[in-house]
Amino acid sequence: MKRYARPTALSGALLLAAALAAGTLAAAPQVGQPAPPFSGVDTTGKTWSLAELKGQPVILEWTNHDCPYVRKHYDAGNMQALQKEATGQGYVWLSVISSAPGKQGHVPPAKADELTASRAAAPSAVLIDEAGTIGRAYDARTTPHMYVIDAEGRLRYMGAIDDRPTTDPADVAGAINYVRAAMTELSAGAEVPQAVTRPYGCSVKY
Amino acid sequence: MNPRLRMAGAWSFALPRLALWAALMTLACVAWSAPALANPVATENVTARLLVERKAVAPGGSVDLALVLDIRRGWHTYWENPGDSGEPPRIDWTLPEGVHAGPLRFPHPELIRVGPLANYGYTGQAVHLIRLELPADWPAGEPVALTADASWLVCEDICIPEGARLALTLPTAEHAGPADLAVADLFETAREGLPRPLRGAARLERVPDSLGLSVPVTALPPGAGSPWFFAAEWGLIDHAAAQDWRLDGADWVATLTPGPMAATASAAGVLAVRAGDGRSAYYLDPVPAPLPATGAVPAESGLGLPLALLFALIGGLTLNLMPCVFPVLAMKVLHLTGHGRAERRERLMQGLAYTGGVLAFFALVAGLLLALRAGGGAVGWGYQLQYPPFVALMAYLFFILGLSLAGAVTLGARLMGLGAAGPSSGAPGAFVTGGLAALVAAPCTAPFMGAALGYGLTLPWYWALAVMLTLGFGLALPFLLLALVPAAARFLPRPGSWMETLKQFLAFPLFATAVWLVWVLAVQVGPDGVAAVLAGAVLLALGLWARERTLGASGWRRMLGTGAAVAALVAGLVLGIRLDEMQEAPAVARAQPADAPVAEPFSGERLADARAARRPVLVNMTAAWCITCLVNERVALSSPRIAGEFSAHELLYLKGDWTNRDPEITAYLERYGRTGVPLYVLYLPGRDPQVLPQILTEGIVLAALDPVAGAD
Repeated sequence: MKRYARPTALSGALLLAAALAAGTLAAAPQVGQPAPPFSGVDTTGKTWSLAELKGQPVILEWTNHDCPYVRKHYDAGNMQALQKEATGQGYVWLSVISSAPGKQGHVPPAKADELTASRAAAPSAVLIDEAGTIGRAYDARTTPHMYVIDAEGRLRYMGAIDDRPTTDPADVAGAINYVRAAMTELSAGAEVPQAVTRPYGCSVKY
Repeated sequence: MNPRLRMAGAWSFALPRLALWAALMTLACVAWSAPALANPVATENVTARLLVERKAVAPGGSVDLALVLDIRRGWHTYWENPGDSGEPPRIDWTLPEGVHAGPLRFPHPELIRVGPLANYGYTGQAVHLIRLELPADWPAGEPVALTADASWLVCEDICIPEGARLALTLPTAEHAGPADLAVADLFETAREGLPRPLRGAARLERVPDSLGLSVPVTALPPGAGSPWFFAAEWGLIDHAAAQDWRLDGADWVATLTPGPMAATASAAGVLAVRAGDGRSAYYLDPVPAPLPATGAVPAESGLGLPLALLFALIGGLTLNLMPCVFPVLAMKVLHLTGHGRAERRERLMQGLAYTGGVLAFFALVAGLLLALRAGGGAVGWGYQLQYPPFVALMAYLFFILGLSLAGAVTLGARLMGLGAAGPSSGAPGAFVTGGLAALVAAPCTAPFMGAALGYGLTLPWYWALAVMLTLGFGLALPFLLLALVPAAARFLPRPGSWMETLKQFLAFPLFATAVWLVWVLAVQVGPDGVAAVLAGAVLLALGLWARERTLGASGWRRMLGTGAAVAALVAGLVLGIRLDEMQEAPAVARAQPADAPVAEPFSGERLADARAARRPVLVNMTAAWCITCLVNERVALSSPRIAGEFSAHELLYLKGDWTNRDPEITAYLERYGRTGVPLYVLYLPGRDPQVLPQILTEGIVLAALDPVAGAD
């Protein structure tokens, strides 16, 4: 027993160090840096990975259909309009549901498709991330929480959808939409001036 | 779990729901007929109440209201920075004309973990105080009816936005009524929960991968433990990350995990600690860079040594133009004119001796300053003027110098080194004049000096001394150049009778300075002090007169005259020194133009409250003896336009008076790297505090107030 004690402790420490290092890396997606890699399955069983999407800009939207902040943007038609605008410009729009089973917002694939149809939403796909792997890799905190990734796979924007952190649908009209602003700047080849904003909404139900 | 408890738990869920429905239905009915009765209001997860602390409010007075949210078990509402998700409660008022409600105030939050995330908020009960102000012309006896539309987000695992329309009617009376005992404890507890100003300087070091926060142990109550830092703004820190608070020498220190905006987010926040039975909280407004440790020149702290030396030199040069120094310098130049044409060597000697005198005096002051600081004293430039005896002695000095220039008395050339043109006043005389020039410079603070000295005094002693001596060198430089450069002599006018005229005229700036110093005394010690120092001046004049009359005499007459002079001097000094016992006269409100902005006296608490309420604040640190301060106030902070801008921004104007010693103001100055006044700091919500220049104009103040407009 004693003979193995030392190597075990040592490798344990190494593992811990590796885990900590990985944790640090995963916990901090940075604007201007390559976006954290991910791979997820959508409602039809198809796998989407960032590596395979190289060459196409990507928008990630964390969502939870029962969250009042998400409802604000879907009830007002705001999120759907943005989705159509983005996919029209060549973006791949992935709505991500990171709610754990039993938590608010967690839905089986069929229900997710039904939600998409009933709300006339237009994402490229809805990823079911019930283990929260993608959510944690992106440090997604709220629903909605938005990420814009350019065609080279670099993260260019992360944060709120707009500058009105409320649940009042009346606030959609006058708001500055940060995602739309980021798309405009990126299509002009410019840097996104407000590349990080405070995401607002319900917490992601990991 | 005990089944009975579980039953109770189930009931506590079911019952309120039923009750709530009943209540809601009732309220809905009542609301149609009489909305004023809607208080409290119960929603699904919160019961909201609006309370008032006193039984009656007086016109022109104020009273505290409380928005009380009783939160369903397991649910929470949010702090101003809600953390990773959420939203703080809001309130919209419908108030009668003239009645003003202040912002919602937030007690310190708790950390609420939600999976891997963390929120800043409240469980159980959240009490938000609101200050309500009644106009002076409100008819006493007529009740004030107010309506508040409160809205909040309440979350458990899921979030529900809720709101309520609350109504309250406040009785009014000629005088404020007694506290309502039924709610006294609630208000008391709520006040204890509000963050207080920190008595000391916290520091935040931002390096790319971590944030180092340190708070002096002495700034917290004795025995305080378990600190936790709540960032005021999203993005500074990772809200959920652990905080490894530990005691390191005289500081509590922690390494914080930076958030997505760590480089730019405001460093402000609240530190909650366990002290005694409960928790208390303190506003932190950390200074950005680490304070330099003694023994090392900090690489990046505020000014930097070369710039500090340059500022010291410019400051010293500018001192020559101050009304207290200029006459002395002018006389010295006249002196040079007197025999300047004669020998170059003599002029050289004069110049060097004068410079030596100035430097010797500054070295003396620097030594004293550094010794006091080493002893833990909080001192800075101008601190000596906080001691009334010093002010009195300076007033005497200017008075006597003035008498001498006016020709009323003749003082020994060697003693004063002024005016006399004889060779006897050679190098030693010039040395004494240099010292005198430095001494009379003491009441004046020139531009640039404050920053240079403030920085200098944080350095090791030898650099501090270098800064002080550079300041002295700047003061001596104009005269030194005149003496050293032969070509400069050509610019000096020819001697003549005009010199006597000018000499006499120069007495008046000195008298004016004496008058100003007496006014400073009036602020410090009141009318009795003024009477004492003026009586002292009369005695001094009497003594000098007696000496003057007997100067030509011999024997006992002359001795009598000298004796009278000495006695008068002693009496004057005693009168001056006894002023110290009159210290601590109540601060006198100084006259201001009627339409100048209204200032409130500075207090750390007032500042912290206003900042917590996201109200812009301008802090003006001033003193009666600080001429720059007074000029700035007249030029930049007194016009109706400024007053208008202040009220348009709902800016709180806080004025700190450092005329007398005040440890709170000294500590505040230190936080901004200053050792003296003036200091102007502008706090705009959501931005780091901004230190305004020491020479203010209206334009600077307006541009700083409106950074967006200013940038256009």
